[in-house]
Amino acid sequence: MKPITKYISYILLPAMLAFTCACNKKLDVKPGQQISPEQIQTEDDVKAILLSGYNSLQDPSAFGERYIFLSDLLADAGFITYQGTFLNYTQVNNRQMQKSGSIPSDVWGRGYVTINTANIVLANLDKVSDANKATLAAEAKFLRAITYYELAGFYGLPYSAGNVDQNLAVPLVTTAIISPANLPASKQPRATVAAIYTQIIADLQEAATNLPDSYSEKKNKSRGTKYSAYAFLSRVYMAQHNYVEAAKAADKVIQSGNYALVASFDAEFNNTALSAEDIFAIVQTSQSNAGTSNNGLVTFYALDQRNDVTISPNQIAQYDAGDQRGKFYNYSSDSSSITTSKWRDLYGTIPVVRLAEMYLTRAEANLRAGTAVGDDPLNDVNLVRNRSKATPLAAVTPDDVVQERRLELAFEGDNFWIVKRLQLNVGNLKYNDNMLVFPIPQREIDVNSSLVQNPGY
Amino acid sequence: MHRLYSIMSALMLISALSFAQAKRISGKVTDSKNGNELPGVTVKVKGTNTGTITQVNGNYELSIPGNATTLIFSFLGYADQEIEIGGRQSINVALGNGTKDISEVVVVGYGSQNKRELTGSVTKIAAKEIANQPVSSFESSIQGKAPGVVIESGSGKLGQGMKIRIRGTSSISASSQPLYVIDGMPVMSASMSTTDNDPTNPLVDINPNDIESVEILKDASAAAIYGARAANGVVLITTKKGKVGEGTRIELNINSSIAKPTMRRKFLDAQQYVTLIEETAVNDGKYDFAHQISGFATEAAAINYYKNRVEKRMTTLAGGNGWRTNAINTDWQDEEFRQTAHTNQIDLSATGGNEKTKYFASGSYSDQEAIVIVNRFKRYGARLNLEHTANSKLSFGVNMGITRSELNRISNDNAFSTPGQLVAQVPISRPYDSLGNPNPNTLYYNGLISKKYEYNRQVSFRTIGNAFLNYYFIPSLSFRSELGTDIYALNEDFYQGKQTQDGGGIGRGGNNITQNVILNTNNYFTFTPHINDSHNLSAVLGMSYLQNDQRGNSVSGENFPSDAVKNLGGAGTITGGSSNEQRYTFLSYFLRGNYNYKSKYLASFSIRTDGSSRFGPKNRYGWFPAGSLGWVLTEENFLKKSKVLNLLKIRASYGKTGNAEIGENNYYTLLSVTNYPMLPGFAPTQLGDPSLHWESTAQTDAGVEFGFFDNRLSGEIDYYNKQTSDLLLKTNVPLSSGFGSIYRNVGSMENKGIEILLNSKNIQTKQFTWTTSLNLAYNKNNVKSINGQIIESGVQRAVEGQPIGVFYMQRYAGVDPSNGDALYYTKDGKKTNDYTQADRGVVGKSNPDWTGGFTNTFSYKGIDLSIFFTFVQGNQIFNQAGQYQSVGFGGGYDNQTIDQMNRWQKPGDVTNVPRLSHFFGNGNQYPSSQWIYDGSYIRLKQLTLGYNLPKSVLSTVKLNSARIFLAGYNLWTQTKYISDPEVNTNTLGNISGGLDFYTVPQAKTVTVGLNVKF
Repeated sequence: MKPITKYISYILLPAMLAFTCACNKKLDVKPGQQISPEQIQTEDDVKAILLSGYNSLQDPSAFGERYIFLSDLLADAGFITYQGTFLNYTQVNNRQMQKSGSIPSDVWGRGYVTINTANIVLANLDKVSDANKATLAAEAKFLRAITYYELAGFYGLPYSAGNVDQNLAVPLVTTAIISPANLPASKQPRATVAAIYTQIIADLQEAATNLPDSYSEKKNKSRGTKYSAYAFLSRVYMAQHNYVEAAKAADKVIQSGNYALVASFDAEFNNTALSAEDIFAIVQTSQSNAGTSNNGLVTFYALDQRNDVTISPNQIAQYDAGDQRGKFYNYSSDSSSITTSKWRDLYGTIPVVRLAEMYLTRAEANLRAGTAVGDDPLNDVNLVRNRSKATPLAAVTPDDVVQERRLELAFEGDNFWIVKRLQLNVGNLKYNDNMLVFPIPQREIDVNSSLVQNPGY
Repeated sequence: MHRLYSIMSALMLISALSFAQAKRISGKVTDSKNGNELPGVTVKVKGTNTGTITQVNGNYELSIPGNATTLIFSFLGYADQEIEIGGRQSINVALGNGTKDISEVVVVGYGSQNKRELTGSVTKIAAKEIANQPVSSFESSIQGKAPGVVIESGSGKLGQGMKIRIRGTSSISASSQPLYVIDGMPVMSASMSTTDNDPTNPLVDINPNDIESVEILKDASAAAIYGARAANGVVLITTKKGKVGEGTRIELNINSSIAKPTMRRKFLDAQQYVTLIEETAVNDGKYDFAHQISGFATEAAAINYYKNRVEKRMTTLAGGNGWRTNAINTDWQDEEFRQTAHTNQIDLSATGGNEKTKYFASGSYSDQEAIVIVNRFKRYGARLNLEHTANSKLSFGVNMGITRSELNRISNDNAFSTPGQLVAQVPISRPYDSLGNPNPNTLYYNGLISKKYEYNRQVSFRTIGNAFLNYYFIPSLSFRSELGTDIYALNEDFYQGKQTQDGGGIGRGGNNITQNVILNTNNYFTFTPHINDSHNLSAVLGMSYLQNDQRGNSVSGENFPSDAVKNLGGAGTITGGSSNEQRYTFLSYFLRGNYNYKSKYLASFSIRTDGSSRFGPKNRYGWFPAGSLGWVLTEENFLKKSKVLNLLKIRASYGKTGNAEIGENNYYTLLSVTNYPMLPGFAPTQLGDPSLHWESTAQTDAGVEFGFFDNRLSGEIDYYNKQTSDLLLKTNVPLSSGFGSIYRNVGSMENKGIEILLNSKNIQTKQFTWTTSLNLAYNKNNVKSINGQIIESGVQRAVEGQPIGVFYMQRYAGVDPSNGDALYYTKDGKKTNDYTQADRGVVGKSNPDWTGGFTNTFSYKGIDLSIFFTFVQGNQIFNQAGQYQSVGFGGGYDNQTIDQMNRWQKPGDVTNVPRLSHFFGNGNQYPSSQWIYDGSYIRLKQLTLGYNLPKSVLSTVKLNSARIFLAGYNLWTQTKYISDPEVNTNTLGNISGGLDFYTVPQAKTVTVGLNVKF
């Protein structure tokens, strides 16, 4: 028996050892469907990170829903009724946001994902060929700038409130966070409104300089261009009451000839791609969208979806009898619910900036600055009105243009910005009321003690 | 050096002795009662020191001097037997007459041990406690039976994940579920189903009737042999094996059950609803006028306005004026629950074997209906456990079970479509229209539409099996190699017709296929040298490797032309398709030594090292040592003769175990693929700490085991102290980094507690026996440090200095008698009716202090009766749905609970229920302690009455035994909670628990069954 025993132990023990050595290598397991930062090596990798920024903008906590929806909910003066069961949206509609609420923290968080994505691109330009470096950097800065513009508007007092060197906006993070070692760079105090605006304008100007005029390939149509940068610049200048520059920026877009008002108002919405009128837009498909059941503009607005938002007859009463825009609404079978048709079909393209706004911006800015950049304000306004078969105006004041914006851009997220920049009231709340500013998320203050909460929370 | 030589010469001497002698004798020792093999039996030549101990399979082999005449077989708890050798070379012995319950064999990791010599804390649950119950998974059967093991099924839905906590929750961000090991193989036990519904329980794939025993390893001494995965305790499941003797035994089990909810909630009926809703309108009119909100000229006008508004809505909801005449009075719970839920189970098995080959084979079928509509579970499967002994050195075999399980699911509790939310509908709405179709004009989406036009089904195929080989080099040294696999294939599909809410008017469907394959091998040596009678040593040394591969595909589609084709072949548009794969691995080495001196002084030591793919190369390996000591005082001379005391053992252990259950790749910083239309990209999605390592738990345990009066009274008491450090904590980082959190080893928490187990044989006569068993456990959890963070999960949180999962919310202060407003406490203890001024504080906790079970068993001739109670004490339940259903219509027109009848009506009323108000609720529709309840309960978990047919009858029908039984489950419950107290809508959370959100209550079941042995 002894030899067999020996024989077996001679075989078994080495076999066990060999097996365990082989196993040791088996502990190196790579992630199944993600990459780690070391795998960012080529220009294509950097470009892929950049393109994920558009996906981030499509998120419901960005342009996919909330940048647009919340600004209409928060600044609504009785034209819409929110009747949904989601408490977090009710709080926005009632101007009773909670600092521990999900919306303030989701919008904040998503914004910085986009910003960090852009910062990672900028930190990896060494992997990009010289020919493409400037363009890629410009595109990253475009994404970063438009996100900062939205965040600064929601979480801080508007530029119009003055005191821009003291009023606080959001932390200005311009370096990439891609490892735990970078985290301290994200723990910053809130930058002033002035500092944020300086950064936004610098970024957008660089984007306007270095981005292409347009993209010829269909797949790239939804990317930022020179003119999307100008379009956002016009918004930023309007917010600063810098009407001269605002008119010029809007005029650049109009004069480019790259865009045209679509023939019929309804053709601008529920499209599967960018329309001729869209300067910058979020595209969606059944596979890539901002949500179909708990999120998304259509989810909240459409009659056959959650139908959480109904439109007041007062809204419709504002339009002329012949105005097609006044007919762009849906009615439930018993007419008790009215909804806008702008957000009617799932997976439709979401216009972020469109040409009609540029005409109205140029008109208002020219009127307020007393300039005549591009065309006469009355022509600009009537161009927009004529498209929808509204009666042309005979004369136009700045307030008329603002009212025109409300008719044209209703439920597209413009309302909040009008209120803020022109210091208007929402019901009996002043434009700078504490409750018209988002709270800084409490969980953010918990991990970053240098943040100061907004008054009222 | 000198010492080494002496050891070597001693070893040589032993081997010389082993091989030089002339006569060898071998055989097997079994239990005379049930044929089980008995390991650890001392076999000795009478009058000499020559002897050995039987192996795991009961075999022994011994070289004896030529002049040997008699062998003595002795084993604790059994009577010694002396056998004349005569001319035999093989002697098989069956030992009996023992007081078995204190000397049973307990399965431990990589071996088994005599309970009496065990120095760790292990609870064993035997087959009869598990078999033939109307449950889908065996954990339900052991609820309340093991001290310190808290089992929560969360709801009366079938196939759902179950929360198991052994000695408390020891983690915050990592899983706190125990490790499950079946026949030596760790198995997959975490839900693989989609995350948009409740987690399901993969352990339903195990047929409870196949289980021989469940051992729960609780302290470090017992569990540390499973090292990195043992911090939450280990549940060892041993399936039934073949037995030698008596030929083939066939056993048939049939049972059939009917079930209803344990209790139904009390909601307003139509008349009460209308009365209260009218009062609401009047209140709102008065309030509006008094506060001049809408500017009504008179109070009457204001009241009239609100009455009209409410009545218009009532007419819509009732589809006419039927609501005024009580023509409609729907109790929506009639629609939520089945009239009676049926369960039918059949199970057939065969056991047998001879010296060479033993087998256990079984087949089973189970079909269970949940008490709630739609939900149904079916399982069928088979098992074959086979072992063959080739010769005295080699044996091998397989243990293999295959199963198919099918679960028809309902939505999670937070969906309008789930049957649980039907109670939100108003009693003046009809559930069905005149044509028998679900009424689409209800207050909320009518979940009955989903019952008709929607399905969500998951089917799993599971093969859990292993092949093993035992080789005895010499009787005292054996090697065992096991190669096992757990192959799990899950197929989930759902369809939501156009008519349904989630079907969105176009119809939606989806299909997910997930495959999880575990490959595991254990290879270890067991060394049980016979030194002499006094010194008993055994040692285990080995290694283990586990590889888990998960792969999945999912496809979804929409735009179904009709309900005719419900699979994705009928989808006009495919909206999503994806696949994923992920592996994890564990490589481990382990060593254990058990020593005892004359079974009096016991010592055990183990050490395991684990390497895991879940951590970075530098932090991959962890060391998990444990040691324990025991002293059996009754083996000492001064107690040996005691007539009162049969057993007194004290033991203590200390050791370290780990937890790595945080999922894969958490030490990596990661970028994930994004799918923006035509512009695919990589988005930064996870920040990883490369220095991430194990969460470790150091546990101290001290216990005493005792038996008095001929073991009429026996039991054990344990104290434990579990200190978990380096928590794998999902710590928040500033969102301004672009990330939300990162896993870090931060913080510590503790669980301290005591466990008491008492067994008593109160009456023991030939005709009549009465036994009582009580188990009690107390656990106190404390989050010691989490870096000052507060980790929230809804209204619950983990916060330093508090037990995990405290309810943290606004404190309700009752009703202002002057105006009926809900009041809350402010920070300085004052009362306010302004919710936003209310202060938040700790108002309860979801984990109980005391848990336990109490069983009385009686038998008289062929009749047996068992009465089993379980109880928990010291926890709270938050009725999260209270803010919709117990809120005086503040949140909507939802039907309200009956307590709203006690509402405030006029100034001076003293009540706890605020004024009814639909339009001017004063904040009482937000979370507050108004809906916190005492969650303690005691429940008659099981009542069984059985009758064994007498032998005289059996022999005429050629049966070995036949038993018929009638059992009731959850027949009676005492609780202050307003619904079933065994409730948790967030089934598996560490922080969240004790939440009721339209959750389906537990089932009250009556079972009749038959057990026949041929």
